[in-house]
Amino acid sequence: MRNLSRDEAAWRFLGYTFVLLATLLMVVPIYWIVVASTLPEQAFLSAGTDIQLLPGSNFLANLDALQSRESVDFIQSIGNSVFIAVVYTLLSLVLCSMGGFAFAKYEFKFKEPIFYSILATLTLPIQLLVIPLFLMISQMGLSNSYWAIILPWAANPLGIFLMRQNMRQIPDALLESARIDGATEFQLYYRIALPTMKSSLAALAIVLFLFQWNLFLYPLVVLEQGKYTIPVAINELVGAQRVYYDQIMVAAALSIIPLFLVFLFLQRHFVSGILAGSVKE
Amino acid sequence: MASSATAWSWDVAAKALDTVDEPYEEEHGGDITVEQFGRSNMKDKFRSRVLSGSGAPAVATMESVDAAAWVDTGGLRDIGDWIDDAGIRDEFVSGKWGPLTKDGGTYALPWDVGPVAAFYRNDVADEHGLDMDGIETWDEFIAEGEKLPDDVAMLNLPPNDYDGVWRMMFRQLGGLPFTDSGAVNINSEKSLRVARQMKEAHDAGITSSVASWSSEWFSRASEGTITTILSGAWLEGTLKSEVGDTAGKWRVMRPPAYESGGNRATNWGGSNLIIADQVSEAKARRGWDYMQFALGTKEQQVTMYEEYGLFPAYKPAYESDVFDQGSEFLGGQAAGRLFAEIAPNIPTYKYTTDTPEITKAINSEFDRMINGQISPKEAVDTAAQQVADRTGRDLA
Repeated sequence: MRNLSRDEAAWRFLGYTFVLLATLLMVVPIYWIVVASTLPEQAFLSAGTDIQLLPGSNFLANLDALQSRESVDFIQSIGNSVFIAVVYTLLSLVLCSMGGFAFAKYEFKFKEPIFYSILATLTLPIQLLVIPLFLMISQMGLSNSYWAIILPWAANPLGIFLMRQNMRQIPDALLESARIDGATEFQLYYRIALPTMKSSLAALAIVLFLFQWNLFLYPLVVLEQGKYTIPVAINELVGAQRVYYDQIMVAAALSIIPLFLVFLFLQRHFVSGILAGSVKE
Repeated sequence: MASSATAWSWDVAAKALDTVDEPYEEEHGGDITVEQFGRSNMKDKFRSRVLSGSGAPAVATMESVDAAAWVDTGGLRDIGDWIDDAGIRDEFVSGKWGPLTKDGGTYALPWDVGPVAAFYRNDVADEHGLDMDGIETWDEFIAEGEKLPDDVAMLNLPPNDYDGVWRMMFRQLGGLPFTDSGAVNINSEKSLRVARQMKEAHDAGITSSVASWSSEWFSRASEGTITTILSGAWLEGTLKSEVGDTAGKWRVMRPPAYESGGNRATNWGGSNLIIADQVSEAKARRGWDYMQFALGTKEQQVTMYEEYGLFPAYKPAYESDVFDQGSEFLGGQAAGRLFAEIAPNIPTYKYTTDTPEITKAINSEFDRMINGQISPKEAVDTAAQQVADRTGRDLA
């Protein structure tokens, strides 16, 4: 390690300070949710007079209060959310990467208009789609099923767009040489395109997972109690005259765990440079 | 008539409907399922399903404040004929019907009303020598409030809900937010009187400014640093569950009048039951049968009042001696009788689909008024102009 000049050292110090501050900004709300979930409601709502920064011992009591509510089984809603988001993400990754591959590497009639009309659907707010989707789903006999939530956005336009952008980087020469070696078109997608796209797929997986995880109005309208996802279940805690913050904090703290695990699992795949050396120019 | 039907409701209202479930099934047969939701969840879900024309329950709860918007969707059944066939229209307090009727149709059956009282801390009043019984007008109310020390407020004006306070006081004067022709009327002489009264109370230094239903609000109610809370009859239930340790220290009285001999009856809150237009005739009939049993019989309304504090809009219920029983929480006071006397005198009121615009305008302009940036006259004029601009209506 060479000695840094004073300027460089100063810049480096500033850089680290900034990153540290940014990290704190990110972590503090989450930390506070976790702490709040372990305190009695009055303790963390005492209007800033004495901010509690250390966890208390009320977590189980708050959890009991949460689980004793008649209208919603929160633990079950975590299961519902995880199942829906995982299945959705896997299915959507397959569909988006196939779509992206087709738009990136094949020529066909009306390719551009079709692509841009898919992209245009991004401008439709979900609120606008809820009622028509609910009608379609009920007529298909799927209402109050997990599939009712998984299917509508399975071919996510944003996902198709992102995959197309990334798959354009795959050298045509690579695909051509594979064709000459006798690979089928599906093998090109599966054996060549997908492995080179690992880091993009991991990034997309997070986007898709979060999209599904945060859907609120649509699951609320389509699902019945017992199948509720986390956001809908949390909103059950907003009463006519009172908001049960202690229970909401427990619910929020618990609902962070699956997200955290997903990030941990996908983090390893954020490796760039996978394309390096896959082709000799 | 269908053999079963589902009813949607929230919180306490759902629990109240549940108590009617069993007696209904014993007397009328059939099978009623009451589903309990969080309030905002139920509203979103119900509205979406009404708009999509499928998946709505036979019976649902609707707050009067939402009535205009919900009726406007065209998805509610006109049950006016059934109400008239049963001959029960006149048995409900007249002030309830306004928002529930449109173009000759009636779209809901009234459930509860929120007769307004001033809930006050008797112990605090005694400690500082306030004569609460002697209060009739706002002037007297303010004069008593001035006897309190600086850190104890006579009244709270919640900055998140100026419109709630304004609406309640405006209705007390018989004010209507829109004229018959639909022009914006919140700059009327009556509305101005309300604004001046709120400002006067604030300038006298007898008010606090705490967001209602917040944790701070409850803790101040509990420690007695907010002496009086103007609210609907249902507040007793809320106080019981949130600040139970103050039991016996509260009393109720009629809200202050604007002048001696003036009206001292108004309303805050209240719900109704509705039938979705999309459900089959058979289901609708079953739903109506259940509604009539729950809301149009003395016995069931009294049960729901006793158990959950939902004050009936059904006048024959007031004959019950339940209303004469002293409430332990209110130091043995027979508050029920007071509310029963107030309820029939509640002036009618009209909500429209533009009610949310009024809420926004009043809240923001009254905030400026209370903070001394504009006068009461400017506040109601600006608010009215803002509503007119945003809704394309005329100014009255």
